[in-house]
Amino acid sequence: MSIDWVTVIAQIANFLVLVWLLKRFLYRPILDGIDAREAEIARRMAEAGEAEKKAQTAEAEFHQQKKQLLSDQDALVQQALRESEDQRDSLLAEARAKLEQEQRDWHKHLERERQKFTAQLQRAGEETLLELTRKALRDLADESLEEAIVRQVGVRLHPIAQELSDAAGDSKEAIATTHDALSEPAQALLRADVNKLLPGINLRFETDPEQAHGLVLRVGGAQVAWTVDSYTEEFDALLSERIAAGVSGRVQPGTAKG
Amino acid sequence: MQLTPDDIVVFTLAGLEFNATIVNTWIVMALLVGISMLITRNLRPDVPPNRWRTALETIVKLIQGQIEEVTRNSARHVMYFAGTLFLFIALSNLMLVIPGFSPPTSSLSTTAALALSVLAAVPVFGIASGGVRHYLKTFIEPSIIMLPFNIIGEFSRGISLAIRLYGNVMSGAVIAAILLTVAPFFFPVVMDILGLLTGMIQAYIFAILATVYISSATAEPDPSVLKKEDKS
Repeated sequence: MSIDWVTVIAQIANFLVLVWLLKRFLYRPILDGIDAREAEIARRMAEAGEAEKKAQTAEAEFHQQKKQLLSDQDALVQQALRESEDQRDSLLAEARAKLEQEQRDWHKHLERERQKFTAQLQRAGEETLLELTRKALRDLADESLEEAIVRQVGVRLHPIAQELSDAAGDSKEAIATTHDALSEPAQALLRADVNKLLPGINLRFETDPEQAHGLVLRVGGAQVAWTVDSYTEEFDALLSERIAAGVSGRVQPGTAKG
Repeated sequence: MQLTPDDIVVFTLAGLEFNATIVNTWIVMALLVGISMLITRNLRPDVPPNRWRTALETIVKLIQGQIEEVTRNSARHVMYFAGTLFLFIALSNLMLVIPGFSPPTSSLSTTAALALSVLAAVPVFGIASGGVRHYLKTFIEPSIIMLPFNIIGEFSRGISLAIRLYGNVMSGAVIAAILLTVAPFFFPVVMDILGLLTGMIQAYIFAILATVYISSATAEPDPSVLKKEDKS
């Protein structure tokens, strides 16, 4: 066992060289690589953490938007339902109003038609009645209706002669108005009656197609009428009653007698 | 029987004799540096490490961890020194199993050289860490009476390191050689396996002791002591 000092010096040199070589080719690359990788891992983890944070933020935002959208959707559906219900009610009300208006118009039209028909019927009835009366008088008594009325006027004027004379005052003219022109004998008969009851009064005859059949005598401010108006009015009332009964579908027993 | 490779002259160049210790040391050095270069030539942080690089990193991190446990700090320079000691001794001892290869650590010259390196490294690291004054002051602590003992202790450390490593490695080689003559089969293999274990342990002990010596020299001064000195 001996120490070779030359070898010792050589080994010291070798060892120092080895330290330098390993430092250059082993420790530094390995440790630097580890440090760099740790830094890289730390950087990537930081990036991953950042990305995760962003993802969580985005997720929260997404959930919020989804919630908002669902809420908006519900609100829109509710609004659409309300609007459709309002529109339906509006359309129904409009249709109902239109229907009622048409119904009213139809009733008015019916009423007008009924009145028109009643009026025509009344006129036809009156004319028929008068014609029948005339025919009956002519056939049975050989007399016209106007002549009979004139004769009746003579009887009726007698009680009110004084009142007519007072009403005539200064007037010297009396006017007898008829629907149709009176026959000569009837005019003569009436003139004789007037001259007898109201002396000094000149009688003039006029016709008025609008006037009812009969005779209207005006003296000054007084007017005396003998027309078939009251009869025709009674006839009209009876006719209207019968028509109304026909429309309603039944006839009142009491009123049907006349 | 050849007990030391110092006596084996491998070649002579320009009058200088290169013995087996030096040549085998170069072989060990070439292996260490070659493997390191091969593995660390393409290191990039963004490329995942392969299995060789992982193995090398594990070794380096292991050494670093052990040194940090002893020194309580991660001084890289200590690691370069102690780590190289460990790797060199470990690989040399491992190569004991190669027939015909004499480990450089079985030479007392090599172990003495390594012990001298540690002996020189302790003041160098100590001075580099705390300055000359602080390093020299460690010799008169805790009292100036301890100065000769501290100096003797400093040198005896190196001698003990050298003898311990040499004795262990050489004894392994000697035992293997003796057993080879007595029982040529089986026993030398068992002893070689045992030699591998003791060789690794010796490498670990040598490196750890070197680290301990260096760390004791580079230990941070006590702040309370520094304050007292400032006041005085």
